Order: sequence, then structure tokens, then C-alpha cells
Amino acid sequence: MRTTLSKRINELLVLAILEHGPAHGYQIALAVEEWTDGLFSFQHGTLYPILHRLEGEGQVRGEWCGEGRRRKTYRITESGRVIFRAGTTELEEQFRALFALFGRTHAA
Amino acid sequence: MIEELGADLDALQAAYERRGLSPAAARREALMRLVPAEESLHELNAQHVPRTARWLKAAGIGGRVERFGAAAAAILAGTAVLTIPAGEAAVQGSLFLWAQALIAALLAANWCRGAAGLWIMGVLPPDVRNLFRARQAGLITGAVSLGGLGALWQGYMGLGTLEASPDLVWHVVRPAVLTGAIGIGAAIFGALGWLALLPRLISDESSERRIETLLTPSRLQRPLDNAVE
Repeated sequence: MRTTLSKRINELLVLAILEHGPAHGYQIALAVEEWTDGLFSFQHGTLYPILHRLEGEGQVRGEWCGEGRRRKTYRITESGRVIFRAGTTELEEQFRALFALFGRTHAA
Repeated sequence: MIEELGADLDALQAAYERRGLSPAAARREALMRLVPAEESLHELNAQHVPRTARWLKAAGIGGRVERFGAAAAAILAGTAVLTIPAGEAAVQGSLFLWAQALIAALLAANWCRGAAGLWIMGVLPPDVRNLFRARQAGLITGAVSLGGLGALWQGYMGLGTLEASPDLVWHVVRPAVLTGAIGIGAAIFGALGWLALLPRLISDESSERRIETLLTPSRLQRPLDNAVE
């Protein structure tokens, strides 16, 4: 199923953070903000549908940890890594094509 | 989900506070980032509803299947009560039997509606849940009352027979006892059905309370924040 570009970018952002190690939902939200200098941020709980969708598709695995106040930790799965690499390559090609088009438009 | 959101919210608030935001501003920022807006909630809900509900919704027949199930259960329950051989033979012609069949049918229909909402559609909204509870309680009370009244009525009607022929005690007592037993039986089945749904109802209500607790302080803080800043 084809997803919209923004949805795909959001999924790749989450996978990119998790490529660096397991993280809680809020840590993913913070890391995305910090690593993109605030250019990208998850607003109004959009992070959770993405995480739960990726979990349902087996791209990430969520585990409850801690005693008392438990927290859910997400980690990327092998299938998530493969999809992340394929996704970034595809996105790179799409942006290259897009900027080639913009370049031609500027040149004209 | 609520547990995850609650823990993340507090941790994100703490992280914003470490960045120099006031507790109220940090809470507001964290809420803005993490608390799902309606669109995100719909998306999450769509991901977590049972497959059957998704299929029924996609086919556009969810509500109809639920109503059809409730009607079928009502017809089955009504038929079952009316065809209890001993009951039919003993209280033949009694208006109470028909009324009891109706109560049993309504109890079955109400239970099916509740069970379908919880386990097939995946959710029973608070207003529907309250209605389910009120109906079930009303119908159980109705079943017991009707059984009691029916038993008294059967006994009263049999007094004439008893005066004429005292040997026919069992002939008078039997329909009265059966009418009462049918009423109590329907009430017990209604109560057992209710008990079967109770754990899930309690769990749903507890989740709603946790959501309320999670979000209420932020709502209360907003006017204060504006006043301070």
C-alpha cells in the first residue's frame, strides 16, 4: 500500500532514531526535534499512531520495562532495518528527481 | 496506550523543564507534542479495533449485523421461554408467561447488544454502557417482580379450585411455583450475562478515569498559565 510522503518521512524519522538504539516514545519525539534542529517535530500525538503501526507491521518491537511506573521501550527489528534502508534510498531518489526538476525550472 | 502516554508525558515534561521551561509551560509543551488530537485518536482507534469490526465497518453493515444479532437472540430467548414444556403445560393461558417471555427476550437482546459492542465492534461508548446497565438492571428487577406477581396471581386464581377440591393442591401450587421459577431463572441468566461483561466494563471505565486524570490538570492549568505569563 502506498503511503503519503509526509507519512513515509515520519515513519523513516522514527526508524532513523531507533537505528541508534532503543528509545521510549518521548525520547523519539525529543530526538527528532533535536537532530533536525526543530525542523521536524511530532505534534498532537501523531507519534503514537506511527509507532503502533510500525509495531503492528513488525518493523519495531515495543517492550514494557521498569517497575512501578512502567515505560514502553521501542527497538527496531531486522525487518525494520531493511525497510528503513530501502525507504531512505527511495526517498533520496524521489528528492533527487524533485530537485532536478526544480533546477530545470530555475534554469529556464 | 494510556500507561504509555502518561509515562511519556511526565518524562517529556521533565526534559523540557531541564531545558529551562517552567513546569506549567513544560507540561503544556509535552501535552501539545504527545496527547493525540482527534485525527490521531481516530487513527489509533482504527489500528486497535478488532478485525471483525474493521471488516463489518468496511462492508458498511456493522450496525445492521449488531441489530440483527440482538433481534435473533430476542426471538430465540422468547421462543425458548415459551416452549419450556413443563412451564407451558403448567401455566398454559397465563398472561404472565407471555410477559416473562418478553422480558427474557429483551434481556437476551440487551446482552447481545452489549457483548457485540464490546467484543465485535471493540467499544461501548459511555452513554450506551450506562443504557445497557440501566436496561439490564430494570429487566432483572422486572423478571423477578413478574415472577413473584405471577406466582401470587396463579395461587390466588387456584384458591377457588382448592376450596372445591382440596386434593388438587399440587395442581394449584405447581403453576405458581413454575411462574416464580421462570422469573427468577430469567433474572439469574440476566445477572450472569451482566457478570460476564463486568470485567471488561470495569476495565473500560478505569481507562476512561485514567485519561481524565491525565488530562484534567492540564485543563486546569491553562487559565493560570495565561494569568502568569
